[in-house]
Amino acid sequence: MLVVRNLTIQYQDNQVLQGFELELAQGEIFALLGGSGSGKSSALRFIAGLDEVRSGSVALDGELLSDNGQHQTPPESRGMGMVFQDYALFPHMSVEKNIAFGIDYQSKREQQIRVKALLSLVGLSGIEKKYPHQLSGGEQQRVALARALAPEPKLLLLDESFSNLDQKHREVLANQVRGVLKKTNTTAILVTHDKAEAVAFSDRYGSIKNQRLQEEK
Amino acid sequence: MIKILIFSLLTMGSIAAVSAADDESVTVYSSRKEHLIKPLFDAFTKETGIKVDYLTGTGGALIERLKLEGKNTKADMFMTVDAGNLWYIGSQGLFQAVQTQVLKNNIPNHLRDPKGLWTGLSVRARTLVYNTEQVNPSELSTYADLALPKWEGRLCLRTSKKIYTKSLVASLIYHHGEDKAGDIISGWVNNLAATPNAKDSHIMNAILSGQCDVGLVNTYYYGRLMAKKPNSPLKLFWANQNTTGVHVNISGAGVTKYAKNSKSAIKLLEWLSGTKAQVIYGSLNKEYPANQNIASDEVVSAWGAFKQDDMNLSQVGILQATAVKLMQKKGYR
Amino acid sequence: MALLVALPIFVVTFSWALPEHELWAHFSENLLPNLIHSTVVLLVGVGIGVTLLGTVLAYLVVMVEFPGRKWLEWVLFLPFAIPAYVLAFVYLGVFDYSGYAQVWMREALDLPGFDIRSGSWAIILTFVLVFYPYVYMMARASFKRQRINMIEAGKLLGASPLKVFFKISLPLARPAAAAGLLVTLMETLADFGVVGLFNYDTFTTAIYSAWGDYRSIEVAAQLASLLVLAAFFLIYFEKKARGQAKYYSTNVSNKKPYQAHGAVGWLIALFVFGVFMLSFAMPMLQLLIWGWESVAQEWSAKYFDLISSTVILTLSAVIITLVIAIVLALPSRCKQGSIWLKSVTQLATLGYALPGSVMAVGLLYGINQISVVNIYFGGESINHLIFGSIALLLFAYVSRFMAIAYSSIEASAQQIKPVFMQSARLLGASRLKLVMQVYLPMITPGILAGGLLVAVDVMKELPATYLLRPFGWDTLAIQVYELSAEGLFERAAVPALIMVLFGSVLMLIFQVLDKHTSKGA
Repeated sequence: MLVVRNLTIQYQDNQVLQGFELELAQGEIFALLGGSGSGKSSALRFIAGLDEVRSGSVALDGELLSDNGQHQTPPESRGMGMVFQDYALFPHMSVEKNIAFGIDYQSKREQQIRVKALLSLVGLSGIEKKYPHQLSGGEQQRVALARALAPEPKLLLLDESFSNLDQKHREVLANQVRGVLKKTNTTAILVTHDKAEAVAFSDRYGSIKNQRLQEEK
Repeated sequence: MIKILIFSLLTMGSIAAVSAADDESVTVYSSRKEHLIKPLFDAFTKETGIKVDYLTGTGGALIERLKLEGKNTKADMFMTVDAGNLWYIGSQGLFQAVQTQVLKNNIPNHLRDPKGLWTGLSVRARTLVYNTEQVNPSELSTYADLALPKWEGRLCLRTSKKIYTKSLVASLIYHHGEDKAGDIISGWVNNLAATPNAKDSHIMNAILSGQCDVGLVNTYYYGRLMAKKPNSPLKLFWANQNTTGVHVNISGAGVTKYAKNSKSAIKLLEWLSGTKAQVIYGSLNKEYPANQNIASDEVVSAWGAFKQDDMNLSQVGILQATAVKLMQKKGYR
Repeated sequence: MALLVALPIFVVTFSWALPEHELWAHFSENLLPNLIHSTVVLLVGVGIGVTLLGTVLAYLVVMVEFPGRKWLEWVLFLPFAIPAYVLAFVYLGVFDYSGYAQVWMREALDLPGFDIRSGSWAIILTFVLVFYPYVYMMARASFKRQRINMIEAGKLLGASPLKVFFKISLPLARPAAAAGLLVTLMETLADFGVVGLFNYDTFTTAIYSAWGDYRSIEVAAQLASLLVLAAFFLIYFEKKARGQAKYYSTNVSNKKPYQAHGAVGWLIALFVFGVFMLSFAMPMLQLLIWGWESVAQEWSAKYFDLISSTVILTLSAVIITLVIAIVLALPSRCKQGSIWLKSVTQLATLGYALPGSVMAVGLLYGINQISVVNIYFGGESINHLIFGSIALLLFAYVSRFMAIAYSSIEASAQQIKPVFMQSARLLGASRLKLVMQVYLPMITPGILAGGLLVAVDVMKELPATYLLRPFGWDTLAIQVYELSAEGLFERAAVPALIMVLFGSVLMLIFQVLDKHTSKGA
């Protein structure tokens, strides 16, 4: 269960968020809507621990990860996964290596099995040895998802993850991803500017207005 | 692009050629460093009105340049250190014989090429230097003595790549034969306290800091160090005084085969062997004058008189390659 | 044009037409086994050292925020402005048996003294401290272009900072770091000054021995051609190892992905500062002390000539080298580049592995051969026209330092996605427009870095300048050498300091330009 309390973000003189609050139950999928510059990506980065702020706290499954700037668990120890807008696949690694990156503490054999399972989960197979630049946008997106899911994150963050795709692929893929998340019972937050996508993808959604989260039903 | 390049190559070259073709002037290629030759040339120009152009460079490369320039070279005189280098230039037919009475009177036979291709102008002696707190001079005698086991871990030497080492070993081969010289080198290598040093000054620093007790240096380096730190417990020991004498080498010069101004060049050579130049030589670098009629610099004569090895220095040239081969075989770096 | 730049390489290679069996027998029996071993040890040690130090430093200043980072980022370039043998000389003066450090160790700590010139670790360390700026400079530029979300993705997958460095950032910076490494290794192979001071034998020792001791320019050239071969394989294996992976990235971020707080931050600062102290501040202090003692004796009006020659030669060489390097690197980004052209280009960059004087003599021999042919056809020798002309000296610089300019520009060009060039062409850009408005601006960082490296290298260059310069064209480097070769190190500090000053000014210019261009990107 994720709890975000009183998040306040300010860039120089520009107040972005003020008293942002969010609670999510295990396995729940939430969509965060907002225009560009509304602070939705900033909120996501704060939850992930990529940015530090002085005010606001994050707790996941009862563990306090950020505490008003006094304590800060580094992103690598938060047990969260993230799918970036441009996927951020490692260009010097094959698909297989990309996906296994977060689970390389496992044996080679275990890794292979897990990579295979994840690829079939996201509807790809036989591309283990390919490099990211040899894949289409949709394929890269699925690989990025598989990579983020590999370490079995407690929370998955999706930052405009579908917006680089065309309308048709976007809907199909969003649907599939939702299926995957439900299957693995993974809690997730999707940041998007597309209301239709938010409605279709999430269990609950809300948007940022006046620097706060307003939930819509 | 290529055309422009060729054009500029040609024009720049010819401009240089024109400007160097003055009437009363001499052009010298020198591997002696500028600050050691400029005062001499300035004095010469003042006295005779003959201008001296010079180009400094490292010995080997400058010799190649002279060789390749052939008949068209601008060099009238080639000046360098080490008899081996001078001998090599002579053997390549790049010097002309100059046997004037002035030179014969001024410079002793063993410091001149037998055919008169080159002439020694200053003498440097390579001898033993020791720590007066660690070594009793009665223990010291010859170069060969340093190969004995009593010096194990106490000896510092300069790298075999330095021309001074090569010439010294060439003289050992001349006096003792190749086999015996090889044994001496092996003994030296066994006795080394440290990897052979790059500079004579490093050898003396090593002796002063206790890394070794005795070494071989050219005397002017000793002179320089003592001028800076007069209280150092260091002393020179004249080697081989009961046998062949201290190994000496020269800096010298010859008139090139294709000199355009050979008259002026010969004049310069004679002048360099004369009183005035020889005094400057001695004081500039604390070397010994090649002209035996000139007294050494005051500081230098304070180190005492010694017997020189009077082997003709062309032998150094003849035997140098053999010497290097021998050192490489015996593992003397 | 590339063929022309490669002239010394050809000369050196064709030397095999004149074998000298006796000398080869002596060399292979007494010298080569040891030399090859010690050369390989040196290359491996220096290679690992500069790669680690150069990339770690670059990574720290680009990716981590720590106290003093901003100015350390710039001063880390400075050691590059000091000639390698000057640094080596200062190190020996401080750390050898008779040096301050060891004397203090023996007297105050009662530790036994040791000969730092025996074995190879000390000389490896020296080379690493002298040459790390090559890798640092190129890796830094590459890290700056890395997308920050690549690192964030790694972090979120649970990777520790070390894992992020070794698994993501370093591999991504590999083409750039490899270019720096290559330059370092070639420079190490060609070095004679540092190995001379340490009396450490490398392959170059054999080249000089063949030439200086046995007067065989042929065997020297044959040995040198083996060096060229080694350099060729180094380049080949690097290219091959890169294989399928591609390394495009364009996004720039000014945010540091890691913040080092408290003790960790200060430890990092201490480490980076320590490298700076050891590689620059300490040697500079020694030079300043020497310079102070001798400036009255050494300074004269002659220095104005030395400075102007140095500046003119450096500027001309940089401009010519850059223009040729840009043209040579252009086809590598377009599909039309034929294999033939590529191999000639490769050849043109090998000159860097040749010791400067061997290369210079190779050049003289090449021109002599032209004269011989000319005479055969009834013409005259052109030797006296060309020997000792500025053009020949500039030609030597271009030939020798092409590798640096080229590899730096090439590494920059590697980052351009072909799609940019293609889209520009689809937009109807003519070839010229394509080059002027797309290609050139995108490789500007590479041009700047390359130009700077070449400038500093030309300024420091000694053997080729010494042999080829026209009358009256003495440079600062020659003055440093002439004085230090006679053991007058105190006086040599004066021209050395002027060189360092110029080098520092160049770095400053580079800094301003670099800031300007990275803003524009």
